[in-house]
Amino acid sequence: MTDQPATVTLSDTPVIETERLILRAPVAGDWPFWASFFTSDRARFIGGEDNREKAWRAFGHVIGHWVLRGCGNFIITLKTDSRPVGEAGPWYPDGWPEREIGWSLWDPAIEGTGIAAEAAIATRAHAYTALGWPSAVSYVAHGNDRSARLAERLGCTLDPAAATPRGEPCHVWRHPSPAALAA
Amino acid sequence: MTSAAPDRPMIDIPVIETERLRLRAPAERDLDAWIAFNRTERTRFVGGPQSPNAIWRGLATYLGHWALRGYGMWAVDLKADDTLCGMVGPWCPGGWPEPEIGWTLLASAEGRGIAREAAEASRAWVYGTLDWTTAISLIDPENTRSITLAERMGARHDGDFTHDEFGFMRIYRHPGPEAIDPAGRLIEGAA
Repeated sequence: MTDQPATVTLSDTPVIETERLILRAPVAGDWPFWASFFTSDRARFIGGEDNREKAWRAFGHVIGHWVLRGCGNFIITLKTDSRPVGEAGPWYPDGWPEREIGWSLWDPAIEGTGIAAEAAIATRAHAYTALGWPSAVSYVAHGNDRSARLAERLGCTLDPAAATPRGEPCHVWRHPSPAALAA
Repeated sequence: MTSAAPDRPMIDIPVIETERLRLRAPAERDLDAWIAFNRTERTRFVGGPQSPNAIWRGLATYLGHWALRGYGMWAVDLKADDTLCGMVGPWCPGGWPEPEIGWTLLASAEGRGIAREAAEASRAWVYGTLDWTTAISLIDPENTRSITLAERMGARHDGDFTHDEFGFMRIYRHPGPEAIDPAGRLIEGAA
């Protein structure tokens, strides 16, 4: 009785296809995958902790971001087996100084395969074209070396002058502009 | 490669109308009223004051709750002038002991039976549309207004629940579907 049939879902959300991935909006069925990630040590850089109630509310707001903003984080699924393995894409909640391209890999088994880069590049292109974003940054926690390396690989440069969410310390990686990417 | 983003709301949340009220999807336009509510002492029974960022995330979670559970909180407007009265509806975030009918009213909406009208409409909906067989409301023992409302709706104190973050709450259990009329009101003599 806790979960009704999924009669209320996000509708008409975009789907992005890349070489190896289908990127789509979150659905209720992603919850167990998100919960495993958020309550694990892998989520320490994005405020995760071993608390399923907070994990539930956090996932709820990942979905709600789509409704409030008309865009949001895409769930990364593998074409081979449709499994959700992470998230990437536009992220601009209240209080964020700038529009962000975010990413998290939920499944450690796919680290080092370039899947996060593939997803981030595709969702950045979506933000620049379909959403018309004029610029984007990625906020990366101090010590999150993997994400910093990915930001570099995406052509980002550190912007030490940029504001950070809630004024808390983190690195701001600035993405190439739409014009620079198109050149 | 990419389908275009739509211009309309991307979640299909039902709208319910009662005599005086419209229950509809929470939206960004509710944020200011919610932030103002958060600056009052009225938050003491619902987790305490929060930052505007956290309130935005809370509003997003209201919407995500609908997608995750198939039901959730409505924003309640007065039909006469579209003013926001509060948030009311079925609610069961992670960690809840069982699904409840919850209500949070803005001060401006108090004392006119608005919470009751919205809560009864919510109860009719969960029994009639979702086929719930029972429903509770979780209430802080010091929240006498809410306790009075629950009792007027025929709910009875039925144990307690302590939430890790929100603390001790009483469980009020509503009469079952057989004791409720299609408008959500208690059938006289049924409870």
